[in-house]
Amino acid sequence: MGKLTGLERIMKAVNRQEPDMIPTLEIDIEPDVINAIKPGLSYADFCDYMDLDGICYFDMKGKRYEMVDEARHIARDEWGALRRFTPATPHNPVPWDPAVKSEKDLKNLVAPDPDLPYRYTEIEQAVNTYKGKRAVIATVMDPFNTVKDSIRGEVNVYMDMIKTPEFVDELNAIARDYHMRYVKHCIDLGVDIIWVTGDYAITKGPMVSPKFTERFLTPGLKQIVEYCHSRGVHCFKHTDGNIWPIFDLLVETGIDAIHPIDPTAGMDLGEAKERYGDRLCLIGGVDCGALLSWGTTDDVREAVKEAIRKAGKGGGYICASSNSIHNGVKPENYVEMVKAIREYGKYPLSLT
Amino acid sequence: MVNLDEISRAIIRGDGDKALQLTNVALDERVPAKQILDNGLVPGIQRVGDLFESGEYYLPELVMAGDAMTRALELIDPILGKGDTPRIGKFLIGTVKDDVHDIGKNIVVMMLKGNGWEVTDLGVDIPPEEFCSAVEKGHYNILGLSALLTMTMDRAGETIEALKAAGLRSKIKIMVGGAPVTQGWANKVGADGYAPDAPGAVKVAAALVGKS
Repeated sequence: MGKLTGLERIMKAVNRQEPDMIPTLEIDIEPDVINAIKPGLSYADFCDYMDLDGICYFDMKGKRYEMVDEARHIARDEWGALRRFTPATPHNPVPWDPAVKSEKDLKNLVAPDPDLPYRYTEIEQAVNTYKGKRAVIATVMDPFNTVKDSIRGEVNVYMDMIKTPEFVDELNAIARDYHMRYVKHCIDLGVDIIWVTGDYAITKGPMVSPKFTERFLTPGLKQIVEYCHSRGVHCFKHTDGNIWPIFDLLVETGIDAIHPIDPTAGMDLGEAKERYGDRLCLIGGVDCGALLSWGTTDDVREAVKEAIRKAGKGGGYICASSNSIHNGVKPENYVEMVKAIREYGKYPLSLT
Repeated sequence: MVNLDEISRAIIRGDGDKALQLTNVALDERVPAKQILDNGLVPGIQRVGDLFESGEYYLPELVMAGDAMTRALELIDPILGKGDTPRIGKFLIGTVKDDVHDIGKNIVVMMLKGNGWEVTDLGVDIPPEEFCSAVEKGHYNILGLSALLTMTMDRAGETIEALKAAGLRSKIKIMVGGAPVTQGWANKVGADGYAPDAPGAVKVAAALVGKS
């Protein structure tokens, strides 16, 4: 097989076929790591420099916050919720105070406008620059996570699920409307893949029961997946945590790939491959916690080999970190990770 | 006569209104507050912890039960405070510097309070010197350090080092927790205890003061 483009490589993997080599990409790479490896490069240029197979674009990344308290680093997001920046989370501020504090507040909620053209400037540029070469991926927040993190707040929405489930349905519908329209615009522009972010689980297990997951979480995801498929576009899902008890529910939504199979949350690539490898593509598996943050380059190399051994056979695997390349990752470890994926990831695999 | 098991069951169901109503009735019937706590509320919240640990309960059920417990405790706390009822101990807690996550910490606080601890919550983004100052001024049995990010775990280690430098380390037991924290890491930074979740934290805390 001749050398494939990044897009072809990812599409083969998603279709559970063996490409020329195991693809790699990251849902996010923080600027500190980029600047340490190749100072001054943008995220897109860095993906080019590292020859990654896909490039991901977040909706209004870094531009969707209006600072309201400089001293405490508190900003308002597009839904009207307050979020707090810290040195450890310079781009993903932590939910601080939700937009809808009571059912009565709902009438004051103003959803962001998904039709604003400037929202899509970067994606349009990426499609023009990389279409056909690398997979151009639009990431979209899971509607439920928008409800949880911006509209209603985590503790409130958990209590609503038990006390006023219809209210959660109403909030979910508002979030879905925004995200569906966002997805439509991205697909109209020509993105190759939609990647739905937002966690369904914590380290211990799912945040809510499988029954609640099916009732409140997966319907929004399923709607996005079905729409993507109707437009001939693949749809990936990201969720942190231990998802074993809800893995079937996720697969039933029709997602084409699941990310990031975090070993520190009890997720094992080998077991995921064995149980679900015939139904969807696996992405991730290389620990970005202790391993990429504090491990040696030898440790990283061994971890990549182990991940490829467990999940590479027959295709259906995209090797990536177990979340993202955050500011705590040692730059040399990320470089080593990509190098090892390219070295040991060539099909037919030499690792057994 | 109120059956205290009914109060336990209300907590387990996360029915705050019922827990509050039954606690009120029990107080009207002159059931000692300590008895309501020990035989009604605490067994209820302990059962909730067990159900969470075994995977039968998830965060919504835990949050509802914690809310029910907090509301009932608000009712009996002032009465308990008037008597000579000793609590298990005093627990100081906070999320480390540069980290503003608080939901996990707040659940730990609810569970500790529900299990008889007097808890002082410093909040989030707490620098080592503020932890040191609080430890120096208060008479706490345990300090709990919460860190939710790989990048902020080091702040917990730095806080422990700051306590050592200030000569305060021997004054207090230290527990660490948060999504990226492991027992191995807790050992490495010299913490006395670690638990992967809130019910586990309650058990470890009790063990650290010899009351497990």
